[in-house]
Amino acid sequence: MRKEPGSRYYVEGIEVPETPEPRSEQEQWTQTEYVGKPRPRVDAYERVSGSAVYPSDTYLPRMLYGAILRCPHPHAVVKGVDTSEAEKMPGVRTVISAFTPDDRATQPHSELIHTTLFSTRCRYEGETVAAVAAETPYQAWDAVRAIQVDYDVLPFVSDERRALDPDAPKVHDEGNQVAPTDTYERGDVAQGFAEADVVLEEIYRAECEIHTPMELHGCVAKWDGDSLTVWESTQGVYNIQAGLAGALGLPLSKVRVVGHYMGGGFGSKLQAGKYTIIAALLAKKAARPVKLTLTREETYLAVGNRPASNMRLKAGVKQDGTLTALEYVGSGASGGYQAGGTSLLDWLVRDLYTCPNVRTELTNIYVNAGPARPMRGPGHPQCAWALDQMMDALAEAIGMDPVELRLKNVPTVSQARGGSPYTTTGLKQCLEEGAAAFRWKETRAAIAREGNTNHLRRGVGMAGGLWAGGAGGPPSTVIIKLFSDGSVNLNMGASDIGTGTKTVMAMVAAEELSVDPDAIQIEHADTGTTQFATASGGSKTVPTEAPAVRAAALDVKRQLLDLAAGEMGVEASGLTLKDGKVVSIDDPSQEREITALRSLRRRRSITGVGYRGPNPQGKAVNPFAAQFCEVEVNTRTGEVKILRFLAAHDSGRVMNRLTYQNQVFGGITMGIGLAMTEARVLDGDQTGKMVNKNWHDYKLPTALDVPADMTCVPIELEDPEANSVGAKGLGEPATIPTAAAVANAVYHATGVRITNTPITPMRLAQALADARKGE
Amino acid sequence: MLPKFSYVRATSLDEAVRLLSSDDGARVCAGGSDLLGCLRDQVFECSRVVSLTGIDGLRGIARTRDGGVRIGALTTIADVAADPTINQSYPGLAQAAGELASPQLRNQGTIGGNICQKPRCWYYRGDFDCLRKGGTTCHAVAGESEFHCILGGAGCFVVHPSDTAPALVALQATVRIAGRRGTRSVPMEEFYVLPNQDVRRETVLEPHEIVTEIVLPRPAAGMRSSYHKVRARGAWDFALAGVALALQFSGNRVTAGRVVLSGAAPTPWRSREAEEAIIGKQLDAATAAAAGRAAMEDAVPLRRNGYKIPLFQGVIEEALLAIGRA
Repeated sequence: MRKEPGSRYYVEGIEVPETPEPRSEQEQWTQTEYVGKPRPRVDAYERVSGSAVYPSDTYLPRMLYGAILRCPHPHAVVKGVDTSEAEKMPGVRTVISAFTPDDRATQPHSELIHTTLFSTRCRYEGETVAAVAAETPYQAWDAVRAIQVDYDVLPFVSDERRALDPDAPKVHDEGNQVAPTDTYERGDVAQGFAEADVVLEEIYRAECEIHTPMELHGCVAKWDGDSLTVWESTQGVYNIQAGLAGALGLPLSKVRVVGHYMGGGFGSKLQAGKYTIIAALLAKKAARPVKLTLTREETYLAVGNRPASNMRLKAGVKQDGTLTALEYVGSGASGGYQAGGTSLLDWLVRDLYTCPNVRTELTNIYVNAGPARPMRGPGHPQCAWALDQMMDALAEAIGMDPVELRLKNVPTVSQARGGSPYTTTGLKQCLEEGAAAFRWKETRAAIAREGNTNHLRRGVGMAGGLWAGGAGGPPSTVIIKLFSDGSVNLNMGASDIGTGTKTVMAMVAAEELSVDPDAIQIEHADTGTTQFATASGGSKTVPTEAPAVRAAALDVKRQLLDLAAGEMGVEASGLTLKDGKVVSIDDPSQEREITALRSLRRRRSITGVGYRGPNPQGKAVNPFAAQFCEVEVNTRTGEVKILRFLAAHDSGRVMNRLTYQNQVFGGITMGIGLAMTEARVLDGDQTGKMVNKNWHDYKLPTALDVPADMTCVPIELEDPEANSVGAKGLGEPATIPTAAAVANAVYHATGVRITNTPITPMRLAQALADARKGE
Repeated sequence: MLPKFSYVRATSLDEAVRLLSSDDGARVCAGGSDLLGCLRDQVFECSRVVSLTGIDGLRGIARTRDGGVRIGALTTIADVAADPTINQSYPGLAQAAGELASPQLRNQGTIGGNICQKPRCWYYRGDFDCLRKGGTTCHAVAGESEFHCILGGAGCFVVHPSDTAPALVALQATVRIAGRRGTRSVPMEEFYVLPNQDVRRETVLEPHEIVTEIVLPRPAAGMRSSYHKVRARGAWDFALAGVALALQFSGNRVTAGRVVLSGAAPTPWRSREAEEAIIGKQLDAATAAAAGRAAMEDAVPLRRNGYKIPLFQGVIEEALLAIGRA
């Protein structure tokens, strides 16, 4: 603290804090008042009543509506765009395309490939060709339909399994392999297979999934002179700011992005879309604010997907359950541009189960379809689909219980990171406690006893999992203000993508400041008014932001106790906060209401700053999981009813028991989509166009596809090394083992193994019929 | 985005027929749950939407004098599914209505609209050249045909999407139709048009005609009915394979009745082969399996829907065994 000189009367006599250094790690909480308890969301009323303003609810005076003309072909050259008719139509204020002079902004698809905003060579159905801003959405769409485009339609390739054939059409002239095949090797797999008692090999495939968040992708863009403000449905406002500034050549300081509420992203809203930049350009050209919300159909084509994944896995095991070798060859569809077609697709093979000899290779392949984007646990649910079905098959081959086989191979270090120890690993507990709570052994015994010969067959299945991310880390800066009336303002840059981030952060601040979480007003996700935060993705928002919030709250608390110490004549170290009061630890009768502190009343507020400190050196921080399910299969029709699910998760400390459970149930639901219903369908043998780009034909699971009986078993290990709150990520691990667990349960029920997602009645009825023929 | 159209809410059947007759681009709207999707997807031109919701007397379920039931065309699917008379006398229809779409759509959709639905073929609904839309090809033949027909296809391979229609065919319902030349009645079985008769239409309705009600005959003694449906997800989905049964029993023996398939053909598909396999018999496991096989004797799958043959065999077997036990 320093005293201000007398000339500055407005701060005379008031102690003004200096910005503190990042604080050393705090002690872990032992007892908590708020953290870990079930708490409804701080914004539940706003969300449920409809008063929460999402970007799609944003209406500005004189706002225009944008619409984008997209290429209807999977591969075509745009030879000309005639916008003359469209420009003359009522209400149309501006039209831009690759053939209008002032629209040369580029969009980075990767470090290597930048494309212009409007492509003249369209590499996927849904590439942007032109855009319109008009007074009403209908006028904008009528104008889009009036634009004449001269396409030279090129041969295309839709299926990455054929795209490397010598005669396959080239998505990029250099060839269809995005980068050299990525290989990983440890030990000697040939030796490992030689040591095995059983070696199995299988080919698995996970179909392409689309994120389809409830809120469509879109934004509203508005210029004030040379400053741009964008309200965007996004997982990270700072990523959008950087994308816009880069594409438009603006200083970051001139781009403000606001993203208070957003209706889901699942990885598809981590970056600025072409539509974001188009909205800004339309708004600039029309000199009016522009709202540009994509249609549902557009979001199926052009804003990302979980790529189709092909996986060949060969595994060796000894009779005693020791894994001896894993050999894994994966490929995936990047789409029309460089994207993570095989991101983390081999991570579980490398790291989940103990195995000394591992070899993987991954090949990322261009096809004429929308580029991939990260989707909830990139690569992991697909890899689990292969690895955990293989573990099941190995267990059966050596006559061992599937849970026992996994327990036999639980690593204590991260093998893929050269043996770095984990701060904590709860895989063993997830398997053991999950199995016990599920009554795994008892259920298997009961099914075996009953014989399972009826046409309705029961089965149980399980899978393990971990997520390569989930540690969180710097940077993040959080500011907390305590006002003289005892209310609190929490200012953070992070987005709440529907996971309950705001609620958790209010609970963390409340824990340290001993105020009710409802007294905390949160300001967040606004590059103009909040501090830098990374995007909310990778299951790292809680482990990144909660320690920064805690540090900021502790900074406030330290200053407050310093003020109180002076007034109360007690050492600050002897004081604490309780129920809105400063209380002496030794003599609880000595207390003072925060609002009664004269020095605080004069200063009006205390501002605390918290930074996210570094992660532990040389250690891996990962969340772990095991999920269990029971199914009933109608062997006449191939219908699968999922009767119950149980998920045991080690994500460190439970921050809010309610949102924790929400995440787990949501993850299971999404995993059931992968397992049972979802797949993008391209008309690959004829037109290359997507045929199911709507919510009816692309089948998300409904309430009737998800069991009412879902149980969440948190494995709460103390993890003081991970970060100052001891929490690890949860959002992604919750969906990683799900699909594999379902497939294993279906196998247990029927003896039929479905290696290609989804397990529809179509696929299963056929497989069961084939199996009957084989008998 | 919807195209530009005018909207007229007719207050009488005569007015509605007149509005339909005077504009080639006029379309009937009852619940709108199918029409709006078709307009958004630009499946057909539409310059005028004629709403029937202002016309009295098109709603409701009532007994007929001969002991049957009449269902007004604008009766919602939810009301059909919940109606006590229908549940008691025609459970197959109540089950079909209850299995259809989602609660929201059942509240909005009408029985008249349900039997007049447009096909759900993704080539027909999508941005594709399509025989049924006046184009030159059927993309299902060499394309993604997992939801297409295995019976009755010719040139075009859609399936009829309705769940209630096969139940109504099985129950020998009649459709009442109003049009320019007055009213007429058509048995449900003759209401639908196969692609080899006319690939551009699904029903015998003329553009100026409106379905006003559906009449069910009094159920014969010993009549049992049911509807079984297999779909790709638990709700809001059409049948991959479904079977409507309306069978007369004498003791344990089937004496007469109909077996009608959904998800099999461009129309609700009466399987006379399956009927022959069960009439005069008790519905034991062997008879049920034989009926399933018989129903699929003439089936010709496309590239992606071969699964429908074992699936239909399975669902027919399941439905027959269940109704035999009932």
